[in-house]
Amino acid sequence: MRKPSLLLLILKLLGVLAILAWSLLPIALIVMSSFKSDRDIFSLTSRFSFLPTLANYELLWSRWGDFFFGLWNSFLVTLGATVLAVAVSLLAGFAYSRHASKALQGSAFFLIFIRLIPPIVITLPLFPVVNWLGLNDTHLVLIVLYATFFVSLGTIVMRTFIDQIPRELDEAAMIDGASQFQIIRRVIFPLAAQGMLAVAVFVIVYAWNEFLFAFIFTTTKAKTAPLVVAEMIGAVEGVEWGVLFAASTVQLLPVLAFVILMQKHLVAGLTAGAVKG
Amino acid sequence: MTARTPLSAIALVGPVQLMVGCVIFLPALYVFWLSLNQSSFGQAATFVGLANYAKVLGDPYFWRALVNTVIVVAIVVHVELLIGLGMALFFASGVPFRPILLAVVLAPYAVSEVSAVVMWRYLFEPDVGMMSQLLGFIGLPPIEWAVNPNHGLAMVSLLSIWLHLPFSFIIIYAARLSIPDDLYEAGAIDGATGWAAFRRITLPLLMPALLIAALFRYIFAFRLFSEVWLMTGGGPARTTEVMAVYLYLEAFRYNAFGSAAATGWLLVLASLLLALVYLRGLYREMFRKNA
Repeated sequence: MRKPSLLLLILKLLGVLAILAWSLLPIALIVMSSFKSDRDIFSLTSRFSFLPTLANYELLWSRWGDFFFGLWNSFLVTLGATVLAVAVSLLAGFAYSRHASKALQGSAFFLIFIRLIPPIVITLPLFPVVNWLGLNDTHLVLIVLYATFFVSLGTIVMRTFIDQIPRELDEAAMIDGASQFQIIRRVIFPLAAQGMLAVAVFVIVYAWNEFLFAFIFTTTKAKTAPLVVAEMIGAVEGVEWGVLFAASTVQLLPVLAFVILMQKHLVAGLTAGAVKG
Repeated sequence: MTARTPLSAIALVGPVQLMVGCVIFLPALYVFWLSLNQSSFGQAATFVGLANYAKVLGDPYFWRALVNTVIVVAIVVHVELLIGLGMALFFASGVPFRPILLAVVLAPYAVSEVSAVVMWRYLFEPDVGMMSQLLGFIGLPPIEWAVNPNHGLAMVSLLSIWLHLPFSFIIIYAARLSIPDDLYEAGAIDGATGWAAFRRITLPLLMPALLIAALFRYIFAFRLFSEVWLMTGGGPARTTEVMAVYLYLEAFRYNAFGSAAATGWLLVLASLLLALVYLRGLYREMFRKNA
């Protein structure tokens, strides 16, 4: 049995290498290349060994101040959308976990049904309405849109997590005279932290990276970081790859680190959300 | 189980329902009304019946976009499920450094479409990109994604698979982990190992998860916009447009709100059709539990 197990080991090693190359190579390459000089970016000889330089980041700072403003906008929008989505999902998830009636079932079905409507479709009527309300190019419009597109998934995930909290706990609190909102705040909130983190991961990754809504609803004041990077791609025909890599790296690394840290919650949320609808 | 909904429950689900209703549902209905009218910015609408649908269905660019979408969705979803399945089985068979490798597989989930386009364009940059050189090295012609529409769509598919594989993988892998080991032990006693075990135990038990992953990915892949918009912009000469890009151009470049709205409703109907079986099953389950 020695020989086949060695073969198996080699195959497994190849599998691991394939996974590493597929998932990490594209990311590693732009992060690495952001520290290369223009001369080295497309050079064969300096693919992996080169003299690192911060020149691209200096250029990004001096020439694309817009990008850092975009990062700030992305941060505000992500924060707002996350707080809003997690808060309302917690309330609704609690209601769906603890109460049952025909009307509630119907409204839960409606939440799932709504996920079938593609975002691009609703930009048509929303665009004039947002203009008319004077909300064009504001953080608020993106916050509301991002949160709304994740509250149905958020509610489903929250319900799955709250289902695991024993009802006896809220019944005991109820006997002590606590209202529904007090039960949520004192009993559910601390125990549903896992679920809230799972929902938060979804919303944060989505809001930080989203392109379509930002592209349609913002122009200057609330322009997010992905939009600025897209502009740089547009301008790249004259090739400014180095600056583009620097911007992509700055946009990517925080959320990548976050996803890796929150891995467990992401997996838990994905499975809860997909299996339950 | 009570039949009446307590007031507090209504208050609790209120915010979510209000947001979804006002921001998604009502606008979607309004799009239907728009699709039956001739209108543009700052112009009063006039009722034209199904004329917008006729116009869209008679537009060769619409058909091109539809065919492109169907091809890309078919490639992306099925390749994704196959790789996802393969990787899930690979992980389940035991891999070294599993937690780290899992994080590696999840990494593309964190990447924005914009950054992914930067990465893959760099890899496939004609003549100088790493993959272009690799293709040249093994004697294959380079990928000319900016010139050849098929190559452009291939790049878009590759990009989409890369971005969304973590999702499919997690769904399938979670389902694989929930298959108890005794089943394989019992199967082994009956002589089912290797391929037979896969055919008779793994595949049937993974089927529900595979179908769910497929459904979600069909629906989400069908809305594909950013990857195409940022990679090819629909060009050259409108040959790589997909449905969402066609809709965007109709509405925001050509100011044809009527035909954009008609396209939008065709998109919604396609999504509903894809999900019909799933929705019916879900509806039955939810209301049976309640009864």
